[in-house]
Amino acid sequence: MLTTKIFIRKNRAGNFLKNIREHYLRDDIHCGISNCHDCPPNSNISPATHENKCSLYNFNHYLVLDTNVILHQMDLLEEDAMCNVIILNTVLEEVKHRNLPIYKRLNNIMENTDRNFYLFPNNFHIECYIAQDKLEVINDYNDRCIRRACTWYMQHVPDAKFVLLTDDVANRQLAAEENIYCCSVENYVAHLENCGSLQDKLAHHDGHSISKSDDIFPPHLTTLEIHKGIKENKLYQGVYHASRDNFLEGYVVVEESDGTPMQIIVQGRVGQNRAVQGDVVAVELFNVKEWTAPSDLVFEDEGLVESGVDEVLRKEAELNVGKGKKEAEDRKPTGRVVGVIRRKWRQYCGILQQDGDASGLYQLFVPAEKRVPKIRIQTRQGVFLRTQKIVVTIDLWPRHSRYPEGHFVRALGAIGDQATENEVVLLEHEVPHNQFSEQVLKCLPKLPWIITDADVEARVDLRDIDICSVDPPGCTDIDDALHCRPLTKDTFEVGVHIADVSHFIRPGTALDVEAANRATTVYLVNKRIDMVPELLSSNLCSLRGGEERFAFSCIWEIDKNAKILNVRCHKSIIRSRKAMTYEEAQITIDDKTKNDSIAISLRNLNMLAKILKRKRLENGALVLASPEVKIHMDSETMEPLDVEVKKLFETNSMVEEFMLLANISVAEIILEAFPDCAMLRRHPEPPVSNFDPLIKVGKNLGFDIKVDTGKHLAESLDEAVNANNPYINTMLRILATRCMMQAVYFPSGIYEKSNFFHYGLAVPLYTHFTSPIRRYADIIVHRLLAVTVGSDATYPDLLDKQKSKLLCNNLNYRNRMAQYAGRASVAFNTHLFFRNKVQDEEGYILCIRKNAVQILIPRYGLECTLYLAEKGQSSAYFQYDVEEQTQKCGDITLHAFDPVTVRLSLDSSNVQHEKFVLKLVHPYIEGFSLPPLNVPSKRKGDSKNKNKSHEKRKKQLH
Amino acid sequence: MTKPLICVPGQRLCILDKTHESGQGTYERQGYIYSSLAGVVDVVDKDGVKVVEVQSTGEQTLVPTQGDIVTAQVTILTQDFCKCVIKCIGNTVLSRTYRGILRREDVCATDKDRVQIYKSYRPGDVILARVLPITEAHTYNLSTAENELGVVIAHSEHGYPMVPISWTQMQCTKMYTKELRKVAKVVPENMNTKT
Amino acid sequence: MSRKELLSKIGLRQDGRRAEELRRIRCKLGVFTQPDGSAYLEQGLTKVLAAVYGPHQVRGGRSKAQHDAAIINCQFSMAVFSTGERKKRPRGDRKSTEISIHLHQALLAAVKVELYPWSQIDVYVEVLHADGGVFPACVNAATLALIDAGIPLKEYVCACTASLANNNVAMVDISNQEETLGGPVLTVVALPMSAKIVHMEMSQRFHLDHLPKVLNLALQGCKDIKAILDDVVRQHVKDIGSSTGWSQTNRKQ
Repeated sequence: MLTTKIFIRKNRAGNFLKNIREHYLRDDIHCGISNCHDCPPNSNISPATHENKCSLYNFNHYLVLDTNVILHQMDLLEEDAMCNVIILNTVLEEVKHRNLPIYKRLNNIMENTDRNFYLFPNNFHIECYIAQDKLEVINDYNDRCIRRACTWYMQHVPDAKFVLLTDDVANRQLAAEENIYCCSVENYVAHLENCGSLQDKLAHHDGHSISKSDDIFPPHLTTLEIHKGIKENKLYQGVYHASRDNFLEGYVVVEESDGTPMQIIVQGRVGQNRAVQGDVVAVELFNVKEWTAPSDLVFEDEGLVESGVDEVLRKEAELNVGKGKKEAEDRKPTGRVVGVIRRKWRQYCGILQQDGDASGLYQLFVPAEKRVPKIRIQTRQGVFLRTQKIVVTIDLWPRHSRYPEGHFVRALGAIGDQATENEVVLLEHEVPHNQFSEQVLKCLPKLPWIITDADVEARVDLRDIDICSVDPPGCTDIDDALHCRPLTKDTFEVGVHIADVSHFIRPGTALDVEAANRATTVYLVNKRIDMVPELLSSNLCSLRGGEERFAFSCIWEIDKNAKILNVRCHKSIIRSRKAMTYEEAQITIDDKTKNDSIAISLRNLNMLAKILKRKRLENGALVLASPEVKIHMDSETMEPLDVEVKKLFETNSMVEEFMLLANISVAEIILEAFPDCAMLRRHPEPPVSNFDPLIKVGKNLGFDIKVDTGKHLAESLDEAVNANNPYINTMLRILATRCMMQAVYFPSGIYEKSNFFHYGLAVPLYTHFTSPIRRYADIIVHRLLAVTVGSDATYPDLLDKQKSKLLCNNLNYRNRMAQYAGRASVAFNTHLFFRNKVQDEEGYILCIRKNAVQILIPRYGLECTLYLAEKGQSSAYFQYDVEEQTQKCGDITLHAFDPVTVRLSLDSSNVQHEKFVLKLVHPYIEGFSLPPLNVPSKRKGDSKNKNKSHEKRKKQLH
Repeated sequence: MTKPLICVPGQRLCILDKTHESGQGTYERQGYIYSSLAGVVDVVDKDGVKVVEVQSTGEQTLVPTQGDIVTAQVTILTQDFCKCVIKCIGNTVLSRTYRGILRREDVCATDKDRVQIYKSYRPGDVILARVLPITEAHTYNLSTAENELGVVIAHSEHGYPMVPISWTQMQCTKMYTKELRKVAKVVPENMNTKT
Repeated sequence: MSRKELLSKIGLRQDGRRAEELRRIRCKLGVFTQPDGSAYLEQGLTKVLAAVYGPHQVRGGRSKAQHDAAIINCQFSMAVFSTGERKKRPRGDRKSTEISIHLHQALLAAVKVELYPWSQIDVYVEVLHADGGVFPACVNAATLALIDAGIPLKEYVCACTASLANNNVAMVDISNQEETLGGPVLTVVALPMSAKIVHMEMSQRFHLDHLPKVLNLALQGCKDIKAILDDVVRQHVKDIGSSTGWSQTNRKQ
């Protein structure tokens, strides 16, 4: 094989560096066509079962695509109708170079063997390789390579036909000269069978504008000019963020030359210049004289499909009117976007704008994310799509177009439907939620699952110990169980038994890869998106009562002062005596008549947990609070029946305490064994400035909140108690929680040891070990621990610092997203619950704003804004005191943390953005407040018929 | 002429037994004879035993070893020794010369105490000598304490060739002057085989 | 930033080779007349000249000499123009000293030094172009030069590199581009005929599980290289022999 290669040199010059690389050409590359006689037989090539039917050609054919077709028409290519495609390596590499996400999607298609996409490495093929001419532009060269490959195919397999799809007119012309069939994508799709839905997915990059009106937007600078500008410090590079309230305003976060971050305001059509949320843009900073302040006007884009730029101009004028009045000190750096360095366009969820002609070809899409502009799409099924939540992507934003132009990707379901909303929540938070693939399911053990003698041999048999589990009601993925038994008069043996998920999920399997990608189980109000298939999560791994299960046990010897004498970990077999709820466990503990072994061990555990907790708090661990609610669902209609704050028992804290202990112990063990790649969890200390709002509020209430260390913070929070208003302390803790940083996973090798600290828990080392069924990090920790105790072997990725780091990044990202998705789901269901309801509720003022007060309604865990005035105007009733942070009206003064009564209702006028409207009821202010409702709101729904779907939401801080 | 069998280092040539012996350019390992050179295999029959040799194609690089007869040219004389340059080992002419030293006590087999260097050799003389056991790295110790060893070619003071006339004297072919030398008894046959 | 894949989905490397394919090797023996032996070797774009002098008397300090074996003196150097950037490379910098020592270790295993007590063999290698796998190319070139010099060897000593692509697949004979793209490089010097490993070196760590396959591929690479060198040597012997009518070799000594 070696001898047949021909040798060609590739020279790459530039920067006085000479790079010479070899480029081997081969004659052993298969053409990818199954019935080819000339190529050596290759079992990997499956015969093409699909037939491409296009009325332009009266024969079956293979498609060859050029780079732009792939880059622009990915949504089309993902359709199953597109088959028998030859992807040339030159094209693939250019795609990879230009757009990595598209490249990944293309790879996914190629992996699907049914689609019959074949990657042909034409640039390594001896007959398809052509050298780049000296003066030839790279694009022309690539096109020539594609045409060369086409002609080669035609000659190599004379009885097959090939069609080149390209939108480049010049290329089509040249191809036609070489007798290659070629066609534009639009033309091709239009002549395909069943093309209707496919045509909607076409991206139009030639700008399908309706009016050939004048350009609305100034042109962007070329890449070269941008680079030059940035180099010469004339331009700044940064990420564009659109304003939520004003579609004509946004800001760009840039770095000044000394590295300090700076926000540059961009306003209006010229200032924003077609930047979309998240884009990396180049901005030009105005002179200080032209600077302006962020406007406090609220502008909603009311434009229609057909409407031109007039409305924008009018609003822009309004914006400008405000400008002059601004006081100099409010002025902030202002500039304008002069070019886009990198587009961060993704797929957006949303709905079609309801007004206008539903059957029109052009429709306007309104994204759920307010910061994203409306998108104009072409569709032939507008009437139907108006009832649906849909996904749309942006293709381009030409200068003459008021809106970016995009195309329809897919429909999610009817608007307002709960399943649709779940889908939207999952999509918007990028939660992988497909069915588990066949490959993944193949990795599962076969039922009936039995424990073999070899298993017993390899594990410590703890089946004779009285172990029980304590979990929220309705929990099916039980991943922890406990036991406690006295050893001597003064010492106890305490065991925490965690489901041995790593026994079932072997590294490197499809199941493992899938779980690593999902990273965590996501809990929506009425849906759980499992990290591992249900067979494991709810059966084989779940430590169900009365069943023999594999566990990873962490066993301590503890004396009665909760001092740990020693710890050991091993794999074990256990049989949980009983799966209890927190409530049951609490009753068992409190019921003095019960004296069976479970009750006694629970009492002992509870006693020890209290001591452990006290010790922990003495060390400076923070007790934080966040209003968490549980939504009771009607099991049939799936409608929320009631929303309530979660009840907490002593047993909650008991279980938590031992889980913390297990996590800390395991963290120490794995760090010692793997100083470089132990998966740990750190909670960085927040910068002092984060605490400013807390300190300010504390001061107004007469509390001195110290934030210099975690211990001081914990102490001052404990002292901040107001006898008149016991909720104040909780409110302070809620505020403190918001000052915190996110806790993150990390491999131990990438930080100094001093950075391992967990601020919230005040422990030097922490990890996650106790919930492997629902968190992937725990699986890794299990594997590490298994190696440490000698019951499993390492594998390469486990010890690779870089890989671990990438894994941690994914875990952290997914965790954050899962948290947001959970919250979004709760919010949606709370909205659903309040639809068509009006209630008076008690709440507390969280903070005071110029024209509004933030109110927390603890019963629903809601945080809403009570507007005292229209935005930007001062209230007719209230006077705002900046220093004292109060709003005054006559003799009534609103302070932070004051209790109030408000009327709660839902404003559903905007289908995508339902929001709560609050009206003040108490204290009563003539002309502003409303009289209380006659019928005080009553809790509906008792405990029966409740689907306690909101199973488990442990605080993410841990 | 049969086609020569080419071999390369590390190539297994034949089994090592009573009838086959490892010769020059080969080595023994685990009961076989291997080649250590790139060249042509040569089998020499010697007393019924086949000696397997490998002849290198290129110039042979040789180093004098103990007992070798070398041809050397005298360069420097002192009271106690003379220095010389080794030009040939046996029949092989060296491409690069080695330094040798011939001590006074190694000049003659007899009357060692009365030997005077300048009465035995003069710079420019070509001598035959035997390599003594090597003790120092930078030179080879030579000996001419045999009848067959000593001066073979010498020139007189006047620059003309001389011929041996006795064990200790040589005579100029032109001027007929006599000079003292330790003269070798030149053996016409191959000297290698004799040692 | 997207990192380039060392091995694409279809199993081709950046330069079009498959994972188990060597680069093209071209070599020539006896390129100089002055030294006792010399060789030129191209492995891909890596180009190396090797020259061997000796065995001869020990020069320099006499303490180095050994009473039972020859000493091998290796010197490695790189030409100023050998890499993309022109750079003055002083002799005896850390890197070349290290390579010299490794080369010495590699050759010592093959040369029958016991035949030449009190003597010295000089091996000089000069890199004309470096494109990855410099050290293996030096070993291979030095082997050829030693053969050319007629110095008895136990067998060929060959060297080859191997790496791990995409943290999973072993690949052989690493080019400079692949070296810089990352991935641990395992260099193996072996006596391919007796399958002995003489010297092994790694640039980075990788997991022990991968070692067998990477090592095996590197050893296979050594064997493949040996086969290529073998052909060249035989051809060389034949050429010289037939040009001189086999006279020299048939001459009895």
